[in-house]
Amino acid sequence: MKYAKVYFDDIEIGHEMPSLAKGPIRQIQLTRYAGASGDFNPIHQDPAFAKAAGMGDVFAHGMLSMGFVAQAVTDWLGVGTIQKLGVRFAGLVRLGDVISCRGRIVGKWPAKEGGQGQNLVDVEVWAENQKGEKVVTGRATAALVSRW
Amino acid sequence: MPIQVNTAVKGKEYPPFAVTVERGKIKEFARAIGDLSPFYLDDAVGRASEWGDIIAPPTFPVTFRHEAAGSEALLADLGVDISRVLHGEQEFEHFKPIRPGDTLLVRSRVTDIYEKAGRSGPMAFVVRESTITDGENDIVAVMRHITVVRL
Repeated sequence: MKYAKVYFDDIEIGHEMPSLAKGPIRQIQLTRYAGASGDFNPIHQDPAFAKAAGMGDVFAHGMLSMGFVAQAVTDWLGVGTIQKLGVRFAGLVRLGDVISCRGRIVGKWPAKEGGQGQNLVDVEVWAENQKGEKVVTGRATAALVSRW
Repeated sequence: MPIQVNTAVKGKEYPPFAVTVERGKIKEFARAIGDLSPFYLDDAVGRASEWGDIIAPPTFPVTFRHEAAGSEALLADLGVDISRVLHGEQEFEHFKPIRPGDTLLVRSRVTDIYEKAGRSGPMAFVVRESTITDGENDIVAVMRHITVVRL
């Protein structure tokens, strides 16, 4: 976790987001996330249900992994800076997995002259498991203040 | 034998529902993710911040649920069992911070249904969009949710 204010002036295209490691994923976290989010799909709780559904075993809520990715972005660029976050759930997160959330700046858009609008940066984001397989891919847009 | 989804659900609007954001729910949600930022958890930090209170994490609007307008209602309309669905994609757009005590209106509709061949067979993609507005009728956030049905 990081709290220093990040300024638009200090971020450039190609900068890498500090990697955030989450996990290993435990059943208790999936149960806790079910309660916190209201998603009680038994496929995340009940191994017999998951097996009968053809999924082999329970797996994590996609939204939990998206929460990890959002945390990686806000740990870096600041809480309250995310204007947009969109992801695709590219692979299942299983019990015991360690998830690394990563990203890099792919766009930088200064506010228009005269104080109109906001300074925006686009971040390509992804999360991968301990085997290097991508489980989440996506993009975030964050608004950053300028030093000047 | 592949199952069918009821594609007539495309375009359906669900009844609006109101939510009042609870302080404890924000903290419970942040802790469940393991995101211990004081801007979500510490009331004093929140009060001193530009927002005047703690705010909700970016993915918090996923907690805005109602039995007549949520996944259960959608799956019933599609004629699909919960064991066949996966979360395909999710997007949030944020326009205003979400704070404890905010009363918000959530309006959802099914914007698209299409079928594609996936790695493990045919799949249907169901796209839902939820618009969240406040008492000033400002858009606070928009959520887009793609449910994948294994046919």
